[in-house]
Amino acid sequence: MKKLIALLLALVMVFALVACASSETKTEEPKTETPAAETPAAEEPAAEEPAAEEPAAEEPAAEAGTLYIPVMAKGFQHQFWQAVKAGSEAAAADYGVEIYFDGPASETEINAQVDMVKKEMAKDPQAMALAALSTESVTEILEECAEKNIPVIGFDSGVPDDTTGAVKATACTNNEAAAAIAADKFAENEALAAKMAAATSDAPIVIACLSQDAVSASVTGRTTGFVNRMAELAEAVQPGKVSIEGHAKWEKKVDDAAIIIRVEISATTEATAVQTAANALLQLDNLAAVFCSNEGAVTGFLAAVSDGEDLADGGKYEDLVVAGFDAGAAQKNAVRQGWFYGSVTQDPYQIGYKAVELAVKAANGEEVSDVDTGAQWYDASNIDDDMIALLVYD
Amino acid sequence: MKMEKLGTKKFDLQKLLAPAVLVLLYIVFAIFGNKFFTLDTLKNILEASYYIGFMAFGVTFIIITGGIDLSLGTVMMCSALLGAYVFKVHNWPLILALALTIFVGVGFGFINGTLVARLKLPPFIATLGTQMMSMGLGSIITKVQSQTWPTATAEVGAWFKKVFIRADLFGVKGFPVGALWLFGFFIIASLILHKTKFGRYTYAIGSNEEAARLSGINVDSWKVAVYTLSGFFIGMAGIFYAAAYTTITPGTGNGLEMNGITGVIIGGTSMSGGSGTMVGTLIGVFIMSVLKTGLSACGLQAPWQTFLTGAVVIGAVLLDKARTNAANRVKKV
Repeated sequence: MKKLIALLLALVMVFALVACASSETKTEEPKTETPAAETPAAEEPAAEEPAAEEPAAEEPAAEAGTLYIPVMAKGFQHQFWQAVKAGSEAAAADYGVEIYFDGPASETEINAQVDMVKKEMAKDPQAMALAALSTESVTEILEECAEKNIPVIGFDSGVPDDTTGAVKATACTNNEAAAAIAADKFAENEALAAKMAAATSDAPIVIACLSQDAVSASVTGRTTGFVNRMAELAEAVQPGKVSIEGHAKWEKKVDDAAIIIRVEISATTEATAVQTAANALLQLDNLAAVFCSNEGAVTGFLAAVSDGEDLADGGKYEDLVVAGFDAGAAQKNAVRQGWFYGSVTQDPYQIGYKAVELAVKAANGEEVSDVDTGAQWYDASNIDDDMIALLVYD
Repeated sequence: MKMEKLGTKKFDLQKLLAPAVLVLLYIVFAIFGNKFFTLDTLKNILEASYYIGFMAFGVTFIIITGGIDLSLGTVMMCSALLGAYVFKVHNWPLILALALTIFVGVGFGFINGTLVARLKLPPFIATLGTQMMSMGLGSIITKVQSQTWPTATAEVGAWFKKVFIRADLFGVKGFPVGALWLFGFFIIASLILHKTKFGRYTYAIGSNEEAARLSGINVDSWKVAVYTLSGFFIGMAGIFYAAAYTTITPGTGNGLEMNGITGVIIGGTSMSGGSGTMVGTLIGVFIMSVLKTGLSACGLQAPWQTFLTGAVVIGAVLLDKARTNAANRVKKV
């Protein structure tokens, strides 16, 4: 029996320790919260509001400090999410609010995310930032948010198809604008610009966009953004001689084209199918440049060019100008080696920062609207810079 | 007779210890946690426990026979996935989809039982096989597409959430209806385990299978029955998982079986079979949920929750060992 009691005590002590260690910053909170918890009429938001305002009126200095905003991500361990977390923490420090950043261990753990969000709801947050794994799974929670007037800010992929009206704004990458950066960089490339200027209807050059599908919102957005800007820039060099081909969605055919912008969509998102599509592109005469619109497209393309070695000096496709999107390990390597001209990356740090910023504004009753968190171009020259290194996640 | 006496002795200790730990945990978190002592938090604890509770009820029977079921989590997911699939894709009425969900659980339970009892496969290996089979089956049939159950605002089947998760009942907004189901089935499971022949044979097989056989019990048939009954509870777990989380992703569920098994172990059921109670299992499940929710209320992220749950499992088994040793000492004297 003594052993039992000793064990039990040890266990309790461990918990107490852990609880104490983590609650250091929150010691004052329970005091202000007890009156709210005691009011039995908690179901009526109207009755609750004055109760919440009273202590604020007494100690106005404390009000700014007590804004509590959970930031619920789709993942946690991924470097992308660590950058989002760093951004959200920076915003929390700038605005003097308390955030709690958490996400499930993997993007399939919908249950873990739902539990997490429910637990945060029980803490009566003033606003919430959410990147939902499944909108259906959090519908009831969003309804509760709408009912209790807790503004929800989507970030990254956000909360698509929300019907409850709880989601006030989303901080995410504008994929069209981001992909347009790659087109701009293509136009800045001297060798490519020279080729574009020298192209004729008899010997047209091809600039291609390789995408893994024409369904997902982010990939189609990027494809559209790149194709439109590239067409615009090419039109400036060869007026009336720019043809867009390859896929009905983007097709704008012109006879006697000097510059052909080819959209190549893979049959499936499988790496082998993307590789087949990439091979089809490489067979084209006068292929001058390729933009791969996401990590999947990059992986498939690299597989088609001997993991990038064919793009190196002296390789089969040494003159080909290639740009990517996102930043997987293989892609980063290709950029660092100079095989790729460069790549576009989302800005997860800004995604996190803007999400918290929007949440703070919404919590203070301000009108908020969607924010483009921007994208960055990186190439061999700046890939190891501190600011870029933070964005170039694996 | 002797065995039963020993059983009751353990029961008494169990009765005292596990609930004491549960209450203690609750108090500790109520003091240190951020808004832990609220109705909302209690609802969260309950709602995260439903599916684990049903899994644990089922596997308690299996563990008492000295077996184990590693296919719990994936069979539960498979059943919920197929239920949602026939509802969404084939437009089955919701009630039939729910019946199919339970049927899938029962079916896999029966297969497990047959493999273990009739074909004499070690339970660990048999259920490891069905674990993968059920995960694969769900993915094959749904063509690896996520499936969703109706939400509370859905046009068809909005009653699903109201019946199984939350409804405006007894004048309470968002009353946790699932708790009624859980406690209802807890009572049924307890009655089966402690008051019927089925239950007595379950203990007898787990204590000494050979002795049970020699005393005329058809061990193989009863074992199949135990696994099949467990399958029913896993199907129920599938329904409550669906009610709590709505979207079911193919290829998941692997690892969730440990939630159920851990609840049983914390509840004091011996892995070597022959002893254990349903009350213990229920409390074990709640200890885990309170721990997870409480640690989150203290601002500790998921990895800490997992780490400390692990510590509790070891603590619980150490307690169990200490208890058995004490009992053995008494016997020797």
